[in-house]
Amino acid sequence: MSAVTSGRERATSQPSGGAGDTANTASSDARGSLGTPFAGRGRRVGLVAVGAAVAVTLALPPMLTAGQLSVYILLALSAMVTVGLSLLMGYAGQVSIGQASFYAIGAYAAGLLSIHGTPPMLALAAAPLIAALFAAAIGGPLLRLRGHHLAFATIALQLILISLLGEADWAGGSVGLQGIPRLSAGGTELGEDIHYAYLAWASAAVTVLVARNVVASRAGRGLRALATSETAASASGVPVARFKLAVFTLAAAFAGLAGGIYAFFIGYINPGSFPVLLSIQLLVMAVVGGLGTIWGALLGATAITLIVQFLNDLGSRPGMPASAPSILNYAVYAAFLILVVLFLPRGIVPALRDAWQRRIAGRASS
Amino acid sequence: MSDFLVYLITGLGTGCGIALIGSGLVLIHRVTRVVNFAQGTFAVVGALTAISLLDTGLPHGLAEVLGVAVAAVVGLLFGMIAIGRRGTSPQAALMVTLGLGILAYAVEVMLWGDQGRSSEGLSGAVTVFGARIQTHYLFIIGVTMAVFAAMAALFGRTDAGKALSACSSNPYAARVVGISVTRMGLIAFAIGGALGGLAGALLAPMNSVAFDSDVALIINGFAAAIVGSLHHIGRTLAGALFLGVAETMVAGYGSATYQTVVALGLILALMIGQAARTHSVVAEAG
Repeated sequence: MSAVTSGRERATSQPSGGAGDTANTASSDARGSLGTPFAGRGRRVGLVAVGAAVAVTLALPPMLTAGQLSVYILLALSAMVTVGLSLLMGYAGQVSIGQASFYAIGAYAAGLLSIHGTPPMLALAAAPLIAALFAAAIGGPLLRLRGHHLAFATIALQLILISLLGEADWAGGSVGLQGIPRLSAGGTELGEDIHYAYLAWASAAVTVLVARNVVASRAGRGLRALATSETAASASGVPVARFKLAVFTLAAAFAGLAGGIYAFFIGYINPGSFPVLLSIQLLVMAVVGGLGTIWGALLGATAITLIVQFLNDLGSRPGMPASAPSILNYAVYAAFLILVVLFLPRGIVPALRDAWQRRIAGRASS
Repeated sequence: MSDFLVYLITGLGTGCGIALIGSGLVLIHRVTRVVNFAQGTFAVVGALTAISLLDTGLPHGLAEVLGVAVAAVVGLLFGMIAIGRRGTSPQAALMVTLGLGILAYAVEVMLWGDQGRSSEGLSGAVTVFGARIQTHYLFIIGVTMAVFAAMAALFGRTDAGKALSACSSNPYAARVVGISVTRMGLIAFAIGGALGGLAGALLAPMNSVAFDSDVALIINGFAAAIVGSLHHIGRTLAGALFLGVAETMVAGYGSATYQTVVALGLILALMIGQAARTHSVVAEAG
């Protein structure tokens, strides 16, 4: 073990710009933008951007076709999970390739509760809670692991979960849960997809706000310290293990909520709905956008969903082979992950932000 | 009793396949400090290539050797992408190999479709103490033992092996004495590819291989490598054999559906146990 440990010591001390260092750079970046407020101009630009994004998000649903609308809803759900994953990987420095486990737990929790007669809204509210409880329970031992050990442990957990769900008669076994009722609140049923679109995006907005406030809070300062150096943070009195567990739990809650909405929206879930590949796709979204940045998570989820959708349409045109959509799908995720990790190791959003700040600085000095 | 013996030999055969994958992981990690997520992909590529060549009428033996060679070339290519660029940290390289594994999905589905395939192995069975054991399992065990003996000789007795080891114990010092760390890393990736390909070619007759079989293979291989702390080839072999036998026993006496759960649960417990003994400050020391 000692050789491996010493190997990692040296590996982490090398000044290389890899994904391992992404956590550090992302956090110092966040500190830069929060600690020293943007110049007035930058802040105004930021507010305008937020306003524009919100307006576009709200205005879009009525204009979309049925097919596009369901992509739009799934995009919101991916974005919610990705925001949590980005916090977990960017700030707590924990690689999770099993985030879809919590998505699955949320979906199954909501589905099972509502099928057994719990009011749908209550079942939906329980989804993130149950996912978070599960994360809190397994997080203690699990988060002792780090780096590739944790990466494999999270995959292993997801495989165990899928395997157990496939065997569990109370969860419908491999057939899954069918006939999950639609959501209803106070007697009015959310019957149309457009309702789900607004619900999903409202939930995504809550996720973003919570994540943003957590990062900006006093505890968030500890988190940012944690991302730079665990040793230094713990020496300065940051309760490292507790904070890691808290972020892990929060990310699980986000994923659980998204899973709950998914269950009500689709109405049918089975263990096959939550493959390891889904976890990897979520990971790619977080890495591409930029770990530890909320905007990055949103951008990563949006960009990849749109590109995959575009290629799906292209691949399912007549004349294309039947396997074309899945081939293109795999290729897109792979290409994005490889190219971003190698050439833009901090992700798209931090890279753009740097370029923008350099431009402002250049103008100020000339 | 004869059931037990069948399960034991079958389990050892499966364990040998796991050991080949695990030793590839260990080898690559020793030299480059990269945990190669695409190790299962090498096995899938080796297996599918061998199966396709057998279908075109090539004789047994030649097809498998070519499959292993193709896997080695794929390993070399993956290595060039994962560690070829200066300043790629091992963590980043792990992500890159994850991406390469998915990229391989695209190519594999394009070439071989998304259905599982299988090949004919050594036919026949021998009877030992009243237990009928398929000859192919004995063949797998024999080949694996030969490969591990060859690896022990390579690392223990040859200059090339010592150069590979030097990169793992101290890359800086290795560079000082004139060893090209990157070239050694690429060699490790190529050998790792060949080991993975061999595992695939050997296991293909026993299990059907599809493009996404790599997840189960890499998880088992990683589990074995963890037993060897990602460093010791011998302990990896022991871990792999134990895993193979344990999984086969669970499947044989209990239910096949729980074999992965048991194996994964074991490995989680082992990893967490190992981590608990290492102090976190030592592990980071950043």
